[in-house]
Amino acid sequence: MISKGDQTMTMRHLIPAGRAKALALALALATALLSTPGKAATTSIDFYFPTPVQGPLARELTRIVKEFNDKNADIEVVAVYTGSYDDTRVKAQAAIAAGKPPGVALMSANFVLEFVLNRQIEPIEDYLVENKVDPKGFLDDFWPAVRPNATIDGKIYAIPYQNSTPLLYINADHFREAGLDPAKPPQTWADLVSYAEKLTKREGDQVVRWGLTMPSAYDYCGWLIQSFTMANGGLFYNPSYGGEVYYDQPSTLGALQLWKDLAFKYKVMPQGVIDPNQVSADFFAGKASMVVLSTGSLTFIRNGAKFPYRVGFMPRNVRNAVPIGGGSLIAFAGLSPEQRKAAWRFMSYMTSPEQLGHWSRFTGYFSPRKSSYDLPEMKEFIAQHPDALTALEQLEYAGPWLAVYDTVAVRKAMEDQVQAVLSGKKEPAQAVKDAQKAADEIMRPLTEKITGGVGP
Amino acid sequence: MAGVGFVWSTPFLWMIVAALRPEGYGPGELASLAPDFVPTLENFRLAWESADFLVNYANTLIVVCGILGVQLVTITLAGYAFARLEFRFKEALFYLFLLQLMLVPPILIIPNLTTAVRLGIYDTLIGVMAPYMASAFGTFLMRQAFRSVPRDFEDAAVIDGCSFPALLRHVMLPLVRPTLVAFAIVSVVAHWNELLWPLMVINSPKRQTLVVGLASFTQASEGAAEWGLIAAGTLLVTLPLILAFIAFQRQFVNSFMFSGLK
Repeated sequence: MISKGDQTMTMRHLIPAGRAKALALALALATALLSTPGKAATTSIDFYFPTPVQGPLARELTRIVKEFNDKNADIEVVAVYTGSYDDTRVKAQAAIAAGKPPGVALMSANFVLEFVLNRQIEPIEDYLVENKVDPKGFLDDFWPAVRPNATIDGKIYAIPYQNSTPLLYINADHFREAGLDPAKPPQTWADLVSYAEKLTKREGDQVVRWGLTMPSAYDYCGWLIQSFTMANGGLFYNPSYGGEVYYDQPSTLGALQLWKDLAFKYKVMPQGVIDPNQVSADFFAGKASMVVLSTGSLTFIRNGAKFPYRVGFMPRNVRNAVPIGGGSLIAFAGLSPEQRKAAWRFMSYMTSPEQLGHWSRFTGYFSPRKSSYDLPEMKEFIAQHPDALTALEQLEYAGPWLAVYDTVAVRKAMEDQVQAVLSGKKEPAQAVKDAQKAADEIMRPLTEKITGGVGP
Repeated sequence: MAGVGFVWSTPFLWMIVAALRPEGYGPGELASLAPDFVPTLENFRLAWESADFLVNYANTLIVVCGILGVQLVTITLAGYAFARLEFRFKEALFYLFLLQLMLVPPILIIPNLTTAVRLGIYDTLIGVMAPYMASAFGTFLMRQAFRSVPRDFEDAAVIDGCSFPALLRHVMLPLVRPTLVAFAIVSVVAHWNELLWPLMVINSPKRQTLVVGLASFTQASEGAAEWGLIAAGTLLVTLPLILAFIAFQRQFVNSFMFSGLK
């Protein structure tokens, strides 16, 4: 497995120059013959994709890409599996630094801003204009909630592909047993606490059933604290400028206080940092009556729950509001004109209403495109699964997801503090101050450009 | 003794049980160690189809053997140099070498990747192997091993007219063999299981290694894991290592006992 260059080089040492040339030629011919079986002049582009959900999705995405390649003989899209969302970001940035940018990637929706700040991706808007698609009309077909993360300074940089929001899942049997109506999941934080208290079952000091549980591992943790902050009337970060977060504001403090109180004051939720797999396992096992998970888990819960379950909006304190999650397609800078054409054909194929609808039914993510839901197969699906409709209705109250300078580090600055609070090591008031300080420090390279008054 | 053995083998037993369990069992039943079902190979079939295992096996084997082959040469020579030869800045150079042990690999991803692209080995198996061809840990281990060999042995051989290559082959290497075997095990296991670097340097699916293939169906954040499938996949990935260990068990255990890696 030596690259071509190395082989010819070693041969040059071993064989006289004239023969080496002939050999190199033969080698080049042979590889050329081997690498293009049957296909005339193909344009090849790399497509990086993460699988935030497990195996079957990676398989299905590989199948979809293969189908595209079969239909388009002149394009070869190489689907490259790149780990988690965070790994995909690292790999893309490392590949760009090394001078080997991929063509297209499915990137966490909130990482798009960073690639724009670093000038590493090309606006989708340029592609639209080149291909005579009206950018405004194009964007109008996407749900308003998914637009801000894909649009930066008024320009479209990404095409939303798979999206989700947090969602409340409840065990209907437990609700009836506790004298609650499963058709009416908790609406407000006050409801959430009182329902959870009624649902929690204790034997002596031991809790045998938790009223509520939700994940607090990295990634989920930041997403949910943003969700509670928004429901508490807050903004969490400045969506029009990537250098500001509102971690130490009253709305964030209140959100963290609620999270802490659920575990430590009301004792209706386990203490400590909780893994998402633990949450779904507890829900399936009947050890937790209410859980907060992504709408992307809907198919998984539907297939795995052996009891009647319902879904409901995330409870509000001040207002109904949730952040979106999920991934968007982006196209990298530095592609050849042929590659650009191939990238556009691939992206427009992947984000057609039919493809997005298929992906939505397969995964449980909602389709970011409104017109997917006008398709007959989608109408039929929604009629069969009314829980998917609840997830869709909540979209009306959804907003963008934390997207700032060095998003992962800034998110972790908050997550570390939330986890410290949930482990009983810190008080919320101190935690939000520390989180703010750490986040400001991380974003300083961006903010110091404007603190002087006159910008860059 | 048997009790301790059972506790240590529990995760492994659980993996086998979970891998054979049909789909549709709740997580409560999943936790059980006792096989309470009709075993099925369905999970293995799904896992096998999820990744191109034969190609992945071959790639991993090439990478692991390639790294080890080069490492054995480099660490033997470097270890001998640090143990026996006298040259300027020897101590400083040795500590500089040891510094490599303190570095966290992720820091080096971008510089290494840039180097790989410049050398034209990006997206090749050589690229996966290259950063590991010299091992600070191995050099350190070999230096210690060579130093523990009495100088008299060497002197006796040299007096009898033994050349350096022959000295190394017939006198020194047989004496440090346990260390070499112990290092080989550590190296093979580490590179067999490595995820991050192969994930970064390889693009083409046909050059993926086993663990990257496995990761494609175990990385779950939304939704939740299909434990049966993960267990079956993990078993497929680790099986060759387990078989190799069983086959050479006695030798391995002896190596660790003699090498000082106690």
